[in-house]
Amino acid sequence: MKADKKMLKSWVRQQNSANRSATMTMALVGMCNVLTGMVLVWSLASILAELLASGQGVALRWLVLFVLASILRVILGYAQEQLAVSSGEKARKRLRRELLARFFAQGPALLRHQHSAALASLLTDRIEALEGYFARWLPASALWVVAQWSVVLVVFWQNHRAGFILGGCCLFLPVFQAVFGIATAVASRRQLLALNRLQVRFLDRIRGIATIVLSGNAEKDAQNLGRAADELRQRTMKVLRMAFLTSASTDIAMIVALVWIVIDQRHSLLHGGSIPQTTSILFAVLMVPEAFAPFRALSAAYQDRAQITNSGEAIQKLPLLPELTVKESAPRLVPDRTDKGIDLDVRNISYQWVEDRPLALDDVSFHLKAGDIALLTGPSGAGKSTLIEMLLGFIRPREGHILLGGADLQALQPADMTRQISWIGQKPVIFAGTLRENIMFAAPAASEKQLQEALEASAIVDYLALLPDGLETKLGEGGYGLSGGQAQRIAIARAFLKDAPLLIMDEPTAHLDPATEQDILVSLRRLLKGRTALISTHSSQFHNIGETVHLAIEKGRVMEQEIL
Amino acid sequence: MKQLQPLWNIWKSRGGRLLVGLLLAELSVCAVFLLMGQTGSRLGLIAVGGVAAFGILRFAGASRIILRYLERLATHDATFRVLADIRLWFYRGLAKGAAAGLGFRRSGDLLSRLVADVQSLDSFYLRILVPLATALLSLCIVLGICLKGSVLLAFSIGIIFCLVAFALPTLMAKISYRWGPELQRTQAEMNNQALDLVGGMRELRIFGQEDAATERFLTAEDVFYTAQRRQGRAMAHVHALSLLLTRLGVVFALAGCTGFFFPKEQAVMGITILFVVMTALDNIVDLPRAGLLFGRIRHAAERVVEATIVPNGTPGEGTEPAPNGHEIEGKNITFGWLPGKTVLHNVNFRIREGERAALIGPSGAGKSSLAALLLKVVAPKKGSITLGGHDIASIQTEALRSKVAWLSQSSHLFDDTVRSNLLLGRDGISEDAIWAALEQAQIADFVRSLPDGLDSWIGENGSHISGGQGRRIALARVLLSDAPVLILDEPGSGLDMETERAFLATLNQLDRSRTILLITHRLTGVEQLDHLWTIQDGTLISHSL
Repeated sequence: MKADKKMLKSWVRQQNSANRSATMTMALVGMCNVLTGMVLVWSLASILAELLASGQGVALRWLVLFVLASILRVILGYAQEQLAVSSGEKARKRLRRELLARFFAQGPALLRHQHSAALASLLTDRIEALEGYFARWLPASALWVVAQWSVVLVVFWQNHRAGFILGGCCLFLPVFQAVFGIATAVASRRQLLALNRLQVRFLDRIRGIATIVLSGNAEKDAQNLGRAADELRQRTMKVLRMAFLTSASTDIAMIVALVWIVIDQRHSLLHGGSIPQTTSILFAVLMVPEAFAPFRALSAAYQDRAQITNSGEAIQKLPLLPELTVKESAPRLVPDRTDKGIDLDVRNISYQWVEDRPLALDDVSFHLKAGDIALLTGPSGAGKSTLIEMLLGFIRPREGHILLGGADLQALQPADMTRQISWIGQKPVIFAGTLRENIMFAAPAASEKQLQEALEASAIVDYLALLPDGLETKLGEGGYGLSGGQAQRIAIARAFLKDAPLLIMDEPTAHLDPATEQDILVSLRRLLKGRTALISTHSSQFHNIGETVHLAIEKGRVMEQEIL
Repeated sequence: MKQLQPLWNIWKSRGGRLLVGLLLAELSVCAVFLLMGQTGSRLGLIAVGGVAAFGILRFAGASRIILRYLERLATHDATFRVLADIRLWFYRGLAKGAAAGLGFRRSGDLLSRLVADVQSLDSFYLRILVPLATALLSLCIVLGICLKGSVLLAFSIGIIFCLVAFALPTLMAKISYRWGPELQRTQAEMNNQALDLVGGMRELRIFGQEDAATERFLTAEDVFYTAQRRQGRAMAHVHALSLLLTRLGVVFALAGCTGFFFPKEQAVMGITILFVVMTALDNIVDLPRAGLLFGRIRHAAERVVEATIVPNGTPGEGTEPAPNGHEIEGKNITFGWLPGKTVLHNVNFRIREGERAALIGPSGAGKSSLAALLLKVVAPKKGSITLGGHDIASIQTEALRSKVAWLSQSSHLFDDTVRSNLLLGRDGISEDAIWAALEQAQIADFVRSLPDGLDSWIGENGSHISGGQGRRIALARVLLSDAPVLILDEPGSGLDMETERAFLATLNQLDRSRTILLITHRLTGVEQLDHLWTIQDGTLISHSL
């Protein structure tokens, strides 16, 4: 727990320093704005003092200065806003690219540890939520102390007594914060947690609302939800009663400073003061809001700060997997491919997903000659998927070697390795895009003729006419919905187009009905010609596919190996 | 705006508390003006050598502090109450109309977005209504004070005030309302690309397309940021304009004091006016931002209200209580989800009490449509369904659903304990009954092995347990209900072959008073059936056993 917090803190520090130059630029512009504010208030005070003293005309130069300072302030405010927008955007882009690099370095094994939707939301929503942190909180927190105390110092320089009062009230601020703040911070953090939990619960209920409604329990559940919300409101208000004292303390400090300075200065002005005297008093009074403005900006951005902890925690939760990179300098190996397929030799491999769990693969060895077809069977949890992910290069064996066409899989450059392997899983991912794009992405350079061949071999042609726009039909999120069999044919077409010598299949017909399975098998048989294949399956239909090697795996070990 | 009526009604029902909050906010604004006006006039008075009393100044300061505190408490309390009301209203609305249909569609993301929309409604009162109302009062006060100087001054300050407090926010609301859909579309596109990129990581790696997919994702990001930047820039311009206008207002007030453009005021009066004007303008300078928020909230409110509208074709509620018998008969049923496309054509079937039937066919053939019809999620275009001899169209929907329990392919597991997942809010169910259901679903041993047994937390959508275990808990939930009719839609999906067989075998031993309709794409061979139907081209074919 403590180590986690430490890691989180150092991660946040890292983010802050990566953003330092932008933060400093914004703080600098903010400081200029504060200084301009001083000039502005000074000119205003001078105008008013002359007016009060003489009742006659006012020197034009003060008025000009006032207008100029006003315009400068508008420009600086505009610049601040633009800077905040661009800095927030830059920081989000940087973080997103860092995460992307990490995702790809760890590879598809990540999907074993976390749901893809959670990973995707990390890439999108979690990062988007950080805009305020970089755009508002960081500059405000860098600026506020310096800005506040430079105002106090300038006021002190002009008017010692007023400066003392203002400084005292400003000093009071942290004291107030400490007294009310710490007490409420603990309680409100707990409250925030409770509120968060209620929101999560509401979201969860809404997501599962069909299940509740169709079980006829909707009204009862609604009442429970309402009760929980009401309880939370009562507890929240209890905390807020204290928490608002903290914000009230800012009001108190400011108003006390204002009233005190006005009342205190009456002695020095008794029977009419000189112009410089009046100016200094007016200046001090008018500067009071300016002294508290930076602190207010900080308080306003306070909730943005919570976001960095949320996102940071989510990122910390990512598993730390070994990165799958091969040294660039390593000699380039080229696996040996023949017309019949490729030779696959698995030697004594072992693997463990989690330290204290049993081995997922325990000293597994087998050998497939070019053109061999192996059926991998075994109960779920036996290690079939682990073996497949290892052959696909998503994970690396703890011990042992895999030789593909005579080359060690681990020493191959990723591109050289994937060139040799095709894969068909249980359900292919259909990307947002047209049918053509979804097939062609397996081999972007393929010709129209090759595409036609793949369409025929995979029997996509059989349903092509049914699609609204043929090959240009939009698929994926919000697009045309394909049936399981139709989607699996896309995976087969991809494999045809890619034309790799080793074909790995992970229960390719698990989600299909028997009739569709039969149809798919016809296409698969065509695909298997001239390739080495390893097929994990429960279905007995695959026994008819031709001469196969049977690998039965149980508890991470290959139990039998026979030729059928 | 008219369609937002239901939301207004919720606000209205909490009108009293909202008004109290508003009133306190107005009083607190009065205190600020008193405070700043007093500061100005006292300073002016002593500067010209007059004698000043400070009682009102002290009073104004103290009341500002107290009123502001009370205002925060009252407005937040009112907001929390309204928020709870809105959520409950949304939940009930969804439950009445769209929710049942959602069981047959996958729309988790859509719902998450809607929940975010509901949450964004929170800020309407606190950040838009209250500031606008106080601005209105401020305008009256400022005009009143300025009129003590001159009509011309009051007129010009009033115009500037209205521009900043009302015109610019309206403009900003319009802009953000107009650009909202574009922003949402581009962001959704980016999210979709991210889902493709992460979910398709295996395919992308195998086919060497990681770089291409990354580029597509980053392009989508760029398009989204361009849209966002455009709105950000508009916001910055409007904000700069509002800053400029408020400065102009101060210059006018100052000019009024010095007699440059306006008839010259008495010095002390002038400085009081100046302080009041400055305070008023400072308070409204951020209102254009509230306009931006308003555009967003309007979109959110529209989506939320739309989601609660009962879709066309939803069967009526019905008035009759559930009948005693539970023989099911479908007569000449014709049905399609979309107009012009029929999934079922003139289908007839009958399941007597206690019979076991299986419905087999490829996906998309209309198996689940039949379940939807039986549960009154949709109504047949032609023909009728009877339960115990009564047309289900006339039976109360909730009562019907307590007679017909359904295990869907996407039964939701709640982020809660095993027990609450099984009970779903029902009470009066004995511990023994719970364990019996768990036994039948082949999951009792696993639940017993959990450290907290029935009170173990199963995580978001069952993330702490495996898919097969979650599936079996959903099964146990259906078995636990006292509904005499069970519809099991692909009960074996996510289970390995052996567990699936064991489960189907326990169904055979189930009390023969219960009717079971099994919807599946293949049989395992252990089922003992009274009917076996397949669906082909929209018609039901009965097979002999």
